[in-house]
Amino acid sequence: MAFANTVYNAFFRRNSVYVSTIFAGAFAFGIGFDVAVTTFYDRWNAGKQWQDIRHKYVEQE
Amino acid sequence: MASVRAVKKAVTIAPTVRTLSSGVPVAPLLNLAARDLSAEHGHGSAARSDAPARFASGVSRNSPIGIVSKTFANAPTTTHYTPRLIHTSAVVKDASDVPDFSPYRADNTSNNRAFSYFMVGSLGLLSASVAKSTVTEFLKTMSASADVLALAKVEVELGNIPEGKNVIIKWRGKPVFIRHRTQAEVEEARTSEWKAFRDPQSDEERTKKPEWLVMLGVCTHLGCVPIGEAGDYGGWFCPCHGSHYDISGRIRKGPAPLNLEVPAYEFNELEGKLVIG
Amino acid sequence: MLSRLSAAGLKPAALLRSVKNSNIASASRSSARFASGSASAGAAESAFYSRTALVSASLLTAGSIAWYTHLFGSLPFIGEVHASHLSDEGLHPTAYPWPHNGLLDTFDHASIRRGYQVYREVCAACHSLDRIAWRNLVGVSHTADEARALAEEVEYEDGPNDQGEMFQRPGKLADYMPRPYPNEEAARAGNAGAMPPDLSLIIKARHGGADYVFSLLTGYIDPPAGVEIREGMNYNPYFPGGAISMARVLFDGLVEYDDGTPATTSQMAKDVVTFLNWAAEPEHDERKKYGIKAVILFSTLWAISIYVKRYKWAPLKNRKIFYNPPGNKLH
Repeated sequence: MAFANTVYNAFFRRNSVYVSTIFAGAFAFGIGFDVAVTTFYDRWNAGKQWQDIRHKYVEQE
Repeated sequence: MASVRAVKKAVTIAPTVRTLSSGVPVAPLLNLAARDLSAEHGHGSAARSDAPARFASGVSRNSPIGIVSKTFANAPTTTHYTPRLIHTSAVVKDASDVPDFSPYRADNTSNNRAFSYFMVGSLGLLSASVAKSTVTEFLKTMSASADVLALAKVEVELGNIPEGKNVIIKWRGKPVFIRHRTQAEVEEARTSEWKAFRDPQSDEERTKKPEWLVMLGVCTHLGCVPIGEAGDYGGWFCPCHGSHYDISGRIRKGPAPLNLEVPAYEFNELEGKLVIG
Repeated sequence: MLSRLSAAGLKPAALLRSVKNSNIASASRSSARFASGSASAGAAESAFYSRTALVSASLLTAGSIAWYTHLFGSLPFIGEVHASHLSDEGLHPTAYPWPHNGLLDTFDHASIRRGYQVYREVCAACHSLDRIAWRNLVGVSHTADEARALAEEVEYEDGPNDQGEMFQRPGKLADYMPRPYPNEEAARAGNAGAMPPDLSLIIKARHGGADYVFSLLTGYIDPPAGVEIREGMNYNPYFPGGAISMARVLFDGLVEYDDGTPATTSQMAKDVVTFLNWAAEPEHDERKKYGIKAVILFSTLWAISIYVKRYKWAPLKNRKIFYNPPGNKLH
């Protein structure tokens, strides 16, 4: 109850704060989600992508 | 069809019991004149919500034939009528609430409030993120495609150009002049009184390295390609309308309004290459 | 349902009946409705069994069969005998466990690199790869320097120069893969009339995709008894019709991989098919990544929208309006 009220008073009470939180959050979420999905994708496909085999050919040069 | 009719007959109760000889159906046990009491808001004699009306049923003890329980299917019509006006009297709460809404009421409204705002906010947050991606991805489709970008840069081997020579290459469909200038030409370009020219520009502004002059070979007058090592100033001369450019590509004489344009370029020192674009 | 339908559909009949009973017009409306309801059921029945209905249903049936026959050239629901044989369709390829099969799986880029080598050393002698430029290899199977070096091995015609003449120059990253034949006629002339197809989109363009091409490359066998193959043609059960102009090209040890992978026939076939699959779908890896993102985002959005919809509608749907009569005593 106390936590809910704290959150409410911090973010939801004023519409200006609410909307700015949403937009700032959307920005942060976009970056974070990108990073999370990429990390997962690279781990899932470890060893198969170009970035995993690139070092073999760059050192030769 | 017959079975449908049979089923229909079985579930439909005939409203009449018998028909008069005139053909009019009669229903002696149905009072067709009866009206729903609440329909006309007859507050004056309406039933209480918490108890049946006294006249509707009950047990009478003082009947000559002993205790009688009576139930009237037909309520007697209202004999007196009192209009109910808007009133401010307090509602009596003696009767329990029917229907009872307490199972629907939250025991903690502040949690619910915060949660509802959170969910609506999350919807907005995700929608904003998705909308932003959609718009940026759409705008990306308007930028130059990969095959165009691959042609946007041109590399020139500088070691192949001797001093005092012009080279013309094609870049994005336009000729580009590259001149390896001699020391004397550099000095001539740098010492001239450029502030008095039609399009005042110093040679330092126009070159990144003094010995290399790189510019678009398109006359700023009407777009002809000027001829190198010609004209009154030892630079370029446009044969179309007689514009003279000096050894820094600046307009000195003739109809052209501006100096020859300098494209974006950079030097690749490691491989001795010039990259235009 | 049926009786309700007939009551609604045959209102004129009901009307007629009620007019007939006008001498009991004073009767209440509900009884009149009831009387006409049973009458309309009878009317519907008679209409259903009428001669007109019989004739129109027969006409409809005959007409639709005629229409079908005209449209598709054969009677409906009757099996046909075709003069073709199953082998004309080609053997169905096996489903192979490609490393990029899964919803979240990228291409195996080491395999793409080996596959490029196989394409360059074997396939490129006859097959073009028009839609792939040298720059496409950069960051996929080769570094920029390697791709540039590969491009420079090939001479391209460019021009015109100052004198208006075309000239030869070494390839650049922006150039597309060179073709083995200058045009289709030359390709046909060099291959006994059969044109080697361009391989850029071959994986997308063939039924069965990667499985089919792999099966085709590894599926060359001697023609079975009774199958005659013309001179210059080869038998491959996976090729529709069985007779293919391309001979078997992949043999063990044909190329030497620079990463030391043993170059068996199936290894080379797998690598070159992976390369061609990449060539057909260069956006493949990125596409699957976008797919993960889109599925997560849109399913979350969907779930929250359901919540918000219920949140908005709950008070409206659960609303109970109840009448709370005032107590008699207070008046």
